[in-house]
Amino acid sequence: MKRKLPVSIRNSPIPSFKQLNCIVISLTKKYIMNDIVIEVNQLRKIFSSGKRKSKSVEAVKGIDFNVTKGEIFGLLGPNGAGKTTTLRILCTLISPTGGNINILGYDLAKYQKEIRNNIGYVSQKGGLELRSTGRENLILQARLYGMSNIEAEDRAEYLIEKLELQSFADRKAKTFSGGQKRLFDLSAGIIHTPKILFLDEPTTGLDPQSRSHIWNEVTKLHDEGTTIILTTHYLEEADVLCSRVAIINLGKIVELDNPAVLKRKIISGDIITLNFENGISLQTASGLLSSESFVKEIKTVDTLLHVYVDEGDSALPLVMSVLHKNNLSIQTVSLSRPTLDDVFLKLTGRKLIDEKE
Amino acid sequence: MKKFLIDTYIILKEELRILIRNPFWVFIGLFEPVVYLLLFMPFLKGVTSAPGFPAESTSRFFVPGLIVMTAMFNSSYSGFGVLDLLENGFIERLRVTPVNRLSLVLGFVLQSVIVLLIQSIIICIISLFFGYSPSFTGLVLLFLLVLLIAITLSSISYSIAFLVKDGGMLASVINFFVLPLFLLSGIMLPLSFAPKIIQGIAMVNPFTYAVNASRFLSDGLIAQNTVVIAFILFIILSILTLQWFIRVMKETVA
Ligand SMILES: Nc1ncnc2c1ncn2[C@@H]1O[C@H](COP(=O)(O)OP(=O)(O)O)[C@@H](O)[C@H]1O
Ligand SMILES: [Mg+2]
Repeated sequence: MKRKLPVSIRNSPIPSFKQLNCIVISLTKKYIMNDIVIEVNQLRKIFSSGKRKSKSVEAVKGIDFNVTKGEIFGLLGPNGAGKTTTLRILCTLISPTGGNINILGYDLAKYQKEIRNNIGYVSQKGGLELRSTGRENLILQARLYGMSNIEAEDRAEYLIEKLELQSFADRKAKTFSGGQKRLFDLSAGIIHTPKILFLDEPTTGLDPQSRSHIWNEVTKLHDEGTTIILTTHYLEEADVLCSRVAIINLGKIVELDNPAVLKRKIISGDIITLNFENGISLQTASGLLSSESFVKEIKTVDTLLHVYVDEGDSALPLVMSVLHKNNLSIQTVSLSRPTLDDVFLKLTGRKLIDEKE
Repeated sequence: MKKFLIDTYIILKEELRILIRNPFWVFIGLFEPVVYLLLFMPFLKGVTSAPGFPAESTSRFFVPGLIVMTAMFNSSYSGFGVLDLLENGFIERLRVTPVNRLSLVLGFVLQSVIVLLIQSIIICIISLFFGYSPSFTGLVLLFLLVLLIAITLSSISYSIAFLVKDGGMLASVINFFVLPLFLLSGIMLPLSFAPKIIQGIAMVNPFTYAVNASRFLSDGLIAQNTVVIAFILFIILSILTLQWFIRVMKETVA
């Protein structure tokens, strides 16, 4: 973006009127028109244990990204990629080794208090006090953000109703299921209606029902205007929820874009998968289709034929008519677009560790 | 300033609320001193008459020391109370909020202090039945000294817990320091019984002054050099260790 302008000006001591004008324009663009709420430049983090350099871990290796107001921004990557470290730095919990961060116009190095007032963070571990009830946890959280006792109780009650937590709100947190804990973690994170919400793996390890409950709440918050930054190693989560995804691997951002664009950009075309009744028709179909101009590539896997095409929607009827003309019957047919998994594999050469529950 | 007081109150109240749910820990901490009172003090009876023994009665010698001992051991174990909070992310949740950092530290430390003061009072009450008859003003000052010791040792213990985050490690570090400091403070037997070398080492142990001061105070002898030295030492130590804990709270990579 226009970030380069102010930097170059910083080098010359007295900016000219024209340059000043440029700064104003670029700042306006950055903070008002584009509404950038988080700006991360060359962020690095080295965890050093003791004096020995050999033992230090470079968890984040110089990453850049901006987050625009109102978007759901995803950090996608396998375990150890540096997602949690990045979030903890943005949330003022640990200081970066290098780089500049600006959140809501506040420099993270100087205005931590202002930033804390405006952000919410739901850590990977959650952080409920397990010997207290869910409600008590929320009230404490509200009090810490400066609400009075009555305000805190009202706010806790409001969120308990909004997120439908009544049935277990007054039980000790240690008796909660994983999903119940996560819903309370989320409620604690939004108790002060933060402008920006950070969610570290909000759904990892949850059953599908709890996951969709969390997704619903996140979507609602987004609709209400909250900017959300979440990390995940669930591809479909990033795909469904996020307006933009940064694919992060070994402390570096390897690709950053809208999920749909990413998939198009990295893997062009769609995949039509045909399931034949017998091997003979599969062989015949393979031969016939491979000579068609709209087919880019064909792969046979067991009784399945994968047909790679540019535009799945328009290619599917053509495939069907070829098969029909030749009296080849199929059991099933499916059209699939490339997944982020394919994208990730292609970019990093490794698969995301996707724990299947 | 107002926010600081409110924040401290909120954190302390939260800690005490959790404690009241499980008052068991207050009494667990009393087990050791009571056992000493019942099973060790009778042994001292035979030693009281020995030449060079500083006090006429065993309880006047032993009970003040026992109070200091309880402060030493119980406060230095307060770090164990935050290990699970560090592990489950609760501390991190607190640190993300704009809560005053000093309040966060004081909330935890004051909770330890309050527990210890309750324990000290209970020990005094039990000791009354063993012939302990302290001076009231002296005792109030002794509790003040105990408070300073508790701030010092619990701050150290919390800081180490934040840094090592592991119960086994915490226990070994604490034992490594507290046990020698305890044995060299003259709590169990008068230091005058010890060889000259040990006496020399004991002179640089702040707890030696605390123990001696505790005996003077419980006898009602307030205007003593040792008492003044003990207070000055522990005021300085509690400020330094609190500052350490604040720094750890601000910076630690939990
Ligand atoms: N407190 C820490 N001390 C030392 N190394 C750490 C610490 N936290 C994280 N790391 C290391 O940094 C790397 C990135 O970790 P993390 O940010 O937790 O990854 P992710 O959240 O993507 O799984 C890992 O190699 C991890 O071991
Ligand atoms: Mg993580």
